[in-house]
Amino acid sequence: MAMLDEPLYPIAILIDELKNEDIQLRLNSIRRLSTIARALGEERTRKELIPFLSENNDDDDEVLLAMAEELGVFIPYVGGVEYAHVLLPPLETLCTVEETCVRDKAVESLCRIGLQMKESEIVDWFVPLAKRLAAGEWFTARVSSCGLFHIAYPSSPDMLKAELRSIYGQLCQDDMPMVRRSAASNLGKFASTVEQSHLKADVMSMFEDLTHDDQDSVRLLAVEGCASLGKLLEPSECVSHILPVIINFSQDKSWRVRYMVANQLYELSEAVGPETTRSELVPAYVRLLRDNEAEVRIAAAGKVTKFSQILGPELAIQHILPCVKDLSSDSSQHVRSALASVIMGMAPVLRKDATIEQLLPIFLSLLKDEFPDVRLNIISKLDQVNQVIGIDLLSQSLLPAIVELAEDKHWRVRLAIIEYIPLLASQLGVRFFDDKLGALCMQWLEDKVFSIRDAAANNLKRLAEEFGPEWAMQHIVPQVLDNMNNPHYLYRMTFLHAISLLSPVMGADITFQKLLPVIINASKDRPPVAFVTIILCGFRVPNIKFNVAKVLQSFLPIVDSSVVEKTIRPCLVELTEDPDMDVRYFAGQALQSCDQLMISG
Amino acid sequence: MSGNPAQTGSHGNLDEQIAQLMQCKPLSEQEVRVLCDKAKEILMEESNVQPVKSPVTICGDIHGQFHDLAELFRIGGKCPDTNYLFMGDYVDRGYYSVETVTLLVALKVRFSQRITILRGNHESRQITQVYGFYDECLRKYGNANVWKIFTDLFDYFPLTALVESEIFCLHGGLSPSIETLDNIRNFDRVQEVPHEGPMCDLLWSDPDDRCGWGISPRGAGYTFGQDISEQFNHTNSLKLIARAHQLVMEGYNWGHDQKVVTIFSAPNYCYRCGNMASILEVDDCKGHTFIQFEPAPRRGEPDVTRRTPDYFL
Repeated sequence: MAMLDEPLYPIAILIDELKNEDIQLRLNSIRRLSTIARALGEERTRKELIPFLSENNDDDDEVLLAMAEELGVFIPYVGGVEYAHVLLPPLETLCTVEETCVRDKAVESLCRIGLQMKESEIVDWFVPLAKRLAAGEWFTARVSSCGLFHIAYPSSPDMLKAELRSIYGQLCQDDMPMVRRSAASNLGKFASTVEQSHLKADVMSMFEDLTHDDQDSVRLLAVEGCASLGKLLEPSECVSHILPVIINFSQDKSWRVRYMVANQLYELSEAVGPETTRSELVPAYVRLLRDNEAEVRIAAAGKVTKFSQILGPELAIQHILPCVKDLSSDSSQHVRSALASVIMGMAPVLRKDATIEQLLPIFLSLLKDEFPDVRLNIISKLDQVNQVIGIDLLSQSLLPAIVELAEDKHWRVRLAIIEYIPLLASQLGVRFFDDKLGALCMQWLEDKVFSIRDAAANNLKRLAEEFGPEWAMQHIVPQVLDNMNNPHYLYRMTFLHAISLLSPVMGADITFQKLLPVIINASKDRPPVAFVTIILCGFRVPNIKFNVAKVLQSFLPIVDSSVVEKTIRPCLVELTEDPDMDVRYFAGQALQSCDQLMISG
Repeated sequence: MSGNPAQTGSHGNLDEQIAQLMQCKPLSEQEVRVLCDKAKEILMEESNVQPVKSPVTICGDIHGQFHDLAELFRIGGKCPDTNYLFMGDYVDRGYYSVETVTLLVALKVRFSQRITILRGNHESRQITQVYGFYDECLRKYGNANVWKIFTDLFDYFPLTALVESEIFCLHGGLSPSIETLDNIRNFDRVQEVPHEGPMCDLLWSDPDDRCGWGISPRGAGYTFGQDISEQFNHTNSLKLIARAHQLVMEGYNWGHDQKVVTIFSAPNYCYRCGNMASILEVDDCKGHTFIQFEPAPRRGEPDVTRRTPDYFL
């Protein structure tokens, strides 16, 4: 229970803090409002605390916001649902303040409470509140009221319902754009509670008004209404009422409205259905793809795959593909990036031939884009193309570009390539892989960037899993073991890590015969004699030694218990006497694992 | 479990705290208090010229840019696997000074031999009240206690470090009152950064193209010319002075005929300067490699450069 966690502060202090000059203390106190309420008991909370809060709403916005939030979950502390209405007055006041965040939170809390109230209570308390706010003199009250109708409406008797509909209609025509915006953004929620018969008559005419609003900020909110209203209407009505609005909006003089249409296009096409989308929405969409505002093209470009799925291959090739070609060399990098993030998904839609002929050249040009995000977006989704065009063609056409990107100067691009390698390997097969990519995989182990080296070590493990231990024994393990003499400790560490990852794949024998001797040798971290004389450095880096301890620990479940006792344990014991405390610590950890193994084994 | 509980449990809590901090979640005030008590014990044992072995990765200003510190670890490797030497200015300017400095101090306590943290001019009571750390502590903890705990700890941070008797590392630069490293070793550093004098200079001075000592436009410390650097390196048998303190667009910048290098590790400083960051890897054979990096992609933060409003054009 929460009670146990937080000490019960003397209640007088908390209430005192509610009035303190220091905003932080007031804020703390508001956050502990439920503690105060529990201490006071339900009745005193109703009669003293809530009225106190109702009067003390001339505070900083931060405090008011916290208050609005707390009151939303306060029903248990005032005596349950039957007393829920006592919470409405303080929230009603909060609905009228200047700060939007506070009002929004107050509306949210009111809705939360309203959902739990009984029908009769809604009619007695909630509906009058909504009406009062809607008639409020100051626009803030009217803005807030719009968000309450969907709670008030369903519980009301018919007469009251008619009144509520007419009030909402007035709000849609309010003098203040802020109120009309709120009415527009809440229209969908309200409409979903209105009966079918009134939907067509009343709600649609409100919607009509909003779509013709002279403020673009109102119209763009009405765009969202298209999708939610569309779901409530019969398909035929949707085509006759919603479709013309969408078409109009797609040519709106304000780019923000057109942007909204582009952004909502998939939802809108769901509302009017696939048939109508194919016949009526395509021209509108093509216009958005060619919009002269980059922001609109970004939104539209992000939808090409989803939209093509609705259209099917023929229409997509005929109408969408030409636009896609243009967008792939768009002057805005963000448009190209948006396109690159979805374009791979078009391959399954267009099928093999069209993909090869039309899409591949676009992929290639995007893979060479000067903006790294564009390249990254393409690489990370290459697998979707494999499935369509097959690996042969992919390797011929895309592999050269991939190899080039393996040395990209942005490390996140290199990382994306590495992560794609195991998949590529499984599809290319051993021989092809050896020719083209084997060397790259070793090269990444000595990348300047740690995350690349780390990913490269993991990649080796996955390759060994894919092609089997025998292949790994020939192509990976010797190179890795040789490199344990690398003069840079961070690279030696990478090879250590790779050995540790490879050992479970390679199995007990190879771990014992090949890997373990190298690791034991590394526990001294001494370079070969030639090194010492030529380069004049004799490693003995503690970091290597404690990583040796970790690697030995990872070998424990793999090798024989006799090996543990004969070889691993003595080496670890020696490390526990190292001058470096970290080496001693990790060697000690590994020794503990040895002991546990002995007992359980 | 047959393991020795004293040994398994000794770092359990701290390891968890480090994992939590790595996700940019601050510790509680109580945890900070305990952590800084331990850190104080470790730091008070260190010298004003703390000896450091190679290999080590040397880093410059971080300034509360936590996500870029996380990127630095993605580039340079994780602590304790990679050894680090940070040259001060962990706090102020960025939004996550609390998380940044807590993480570095926690790493120091957990792996005292793997990481060295020097004092920068921002590790001071006065400066942090102006440039953000104080306000951030108030915002995140509701009171100034954590600010007090950290600024009290800053007094114990070593002022300089010496890598393999060759590379002299410090935040700012040289001082006319200091000729030898022994001069530095001899004064009592446990105090607020003074307004003037040798300790102030080490944290405030900048190298300059003009010869000799000059008046610093910063109002504290001095500017020093190539002649000064050469003399100092010669007197103390040094190869290089590595320092931070100044924004450099490429993340690092050689000066004074490669006697001085400036390293700066806060990319796109203050979220607007457009600079690269860098770190300097000194490897086993004392070879030097600079690695540059860009700001980490910010999760959840919108791409702010995406659209410049028309009225700016």
